[in-house]
Amino acid sequence: MNNTASKLTGTTPAAESGEIRLIGLSKKFGSSYAVENIDLTIPHGSYCCLLGPSGCGKTTILRMIAGHETPTSGEIYIGEQMVVGKTPVERGTAMMFQSYALFPHLSILDNVAFYLKMRSVGKEERRRKAEEMLRRVQLHHLKDRMPAQLSGGQQQRVALARSLITNPRVLLLDEPLSALDEFLRLKMRGELKSLQNELGITFVHVTHTQPEAIALADMVVVMDTGRIEQADSANVIFNSPKTPYVARFMGGQNVLTGTVESSSAGSLRLKAANGAIFEAAAALAPAVQGSPMSISVRRDRITLRKRRAGEKTAAVNEISGVVEATEYQGSYVKVTLDLGGGVFVANVSDGDYFAEPVGRGDPVTASWRTADVHTLAKADTGSANESFLDPGH
Amino acid sequence: MSTAQSYGPRPWTFYVLATLFTLFVIFLYGPMIGVLILSFQGPSASLVFPLREPSLMWFDELFSPRRTGDVVGAFNRSLPLAFLVMVLTVLISVTAGFAFRRRFKGATAIFYMAIASLIVPGLVLSIGILVTYRYLGLTASWYGSALGAHLSWALPFGLLIMFAILGRLNPSYEEAAHDLGATKWQTVKEVVIPIVFPGMIAVALFGFTLSYDEFPRSWLTVGTRNTLPLEIWTMTTNVTSPALYALGTVTTVVSFMVIAIALSSIFLIQRKRSRQT
Repeated sequence: MNNTASKLTGTTPAAESGEIRLIGLSKKFGSSYAVENIDLTIPHGSYCCLLGPSGCGKTTILRMIAGHETPTSGEIYIGEQMVVGKTPVERGTAMMFQSYALFPHLSILDNVAFYLKMRSVGKEERRRKAEEMLRRVQLHHLKDRMPAQLSGGQQQRVALARSLITNPRVLLLDEPLSALDEFLRLKMRGELKSLQNELGITFVHVTHTQPEAIALADMVVVMDTGRIEQADSANVIFNSPKTPYVARFMGGQNVLTGTVESSSAGSLRLKAANGAIFEAAAALAPAVQGSPMSISVRRDRITLRKRRAGEKTAAVNEISGVVEATEYQGSYVKVTLDLGGGVFVANVSDGDYFAEPVGRGDPVTASWRTADVHTLAKADTGSANESFLDPGH
Repeated sequence: MSTAQSYGPRPWTFYVLATLFTLFVIFLYGPMIGVLILSFQGPSASLVFPLREPSLMWFDELFSPRRTGDVVGAFNRSLPLAFLVMVLTVLISVTAGFAFRRRFKGATAIFYMAIASLIVPGLVLSIGILVTYRYLGLTASWYGSALGAHLSWALPFGLLIMFAILGRLNPSYEEAAHDLGATKWQTVKEVVIPIVFPGMIAVALFGFTLSYDEFPRSWLTVGTRNTLPLEIWTMTTNVTSPALYALGTVTTVVSFMVIAIALSSIFLIQRKRSRQT
């Protein structure tokens, strides 16, 4: 027993830090970069979500941390240890695969005990430990089943148990919830979060679903084609996106662009191409007069009113358009406006909406407070109509 | 009305295809069953139906080489040869399959060279091997030249099966094993081989049966002593007794036994596997 315990901790001291540092990390496939010159520090014991559309390089980063992919250049540290070239067990990482990769020829118990078997732990010992682990994920009663006989959610728990028996400092999850139906996804999401709290180790979770990242992560890393766009807490990412890409990708934001009219301490005035005037409290980047600039406004901070015949939009922080679609969401109504070139979305609370309902084709004016305007560090360059940019919430 | 339609009569194509299939089955198994029945012919009987005074005398005749030739000897060569071809086909196909999983330089060329031997006519290959052996001053034998000739036939099949199976094997199984601390060898032994094992049995079956009843590639390569198919062929030209049928029955039974052993070994291993911890 003692012998095994020291064996288990011999190469992966549980006390060691699970901080991950990526320094100048790149990965080339053929002649194109999947990941290009990335620097990132994921603090010990945090829940980090790598978020981005498919093909943005998030899974490649995860696989490099796991040791299933060798970086073209750059360094990866876990704790104090430079881990490039080391095996996953030496790194103290464990990975949960998207398809779970449960060994189809082994029973649930043998799947969980696989790591111990590879380390030549005696049969009794590894049986006992694996059963203990299965009890923790509440699957002990299924220990003699084969993987194919389990449901998706149960398979995922087996995969978790199989990973956790290695006593990792870092658990890497590759789109762990994507194979589950909506109900199970929400349930397992909660379980993952509480498991991470309980274990206190670092979780790195790859996903392309924004609500998943926001619900789970202490740290969200938004990626685009091999680069990190922004790495911050979920709250900051959602409320203060740095770039139009992040604002659009996270959803819940309207991105508006104009040229800087005037800029003074704490106040900024933009003029849009259609003549509308926007005001913002302060700019992230120093604003040069005449240069293009983008701002974002949360969808739920927009007030809508019907436009009366002959009315002109002259007021600041107002924009007019025609209702294109309305979608009832329960607590709010998603109203999509056609601005005659761009799309603008207002999430109106159900109380406000039903007090003055609008329908398709109605001319409306949308307005917001200056305090709700957030300036972006980069001017928008378009690509507003890519489908993934509007997750629909 | 609508229910009546959905449970309506079968389309005419069903009857056409069912008839075709029935004819096919009769054509496939009819002669075999005929041979099986006639191998129990009595002493006074001829080579055709009806069956008179059923007995086992022709089986006895078969294994006491008085007039029928060296049937026992032919078995004693054909079975080990088929077994050797089976083992080598499995070994080479599996290892080649692993090699081809990682694309190496010249992989495609080697693949097509291996597959090309499927389209070389067997008799021509047989002559070629004999001529080459003569030229090199070697003696043709069932365990030398014939073994090579059979491998040229069984290996491409084995390779094709193994490529298909390993191509379908999800690489994340191996990655998961690596993740859980398995060495390369442990990954092969504990994960890959068990998962592809049914495929290996299929390759083994192909190797065995392709060799066991191979005629054209054996024709000139076995040397002075015949393998079973050659022996049967010789008998058809000079033995005119139901002993021929008895031989047919025995070889068929051996083939079926091999298949049964293969399938039940898959079954047993999987059952054992689901119990073990």
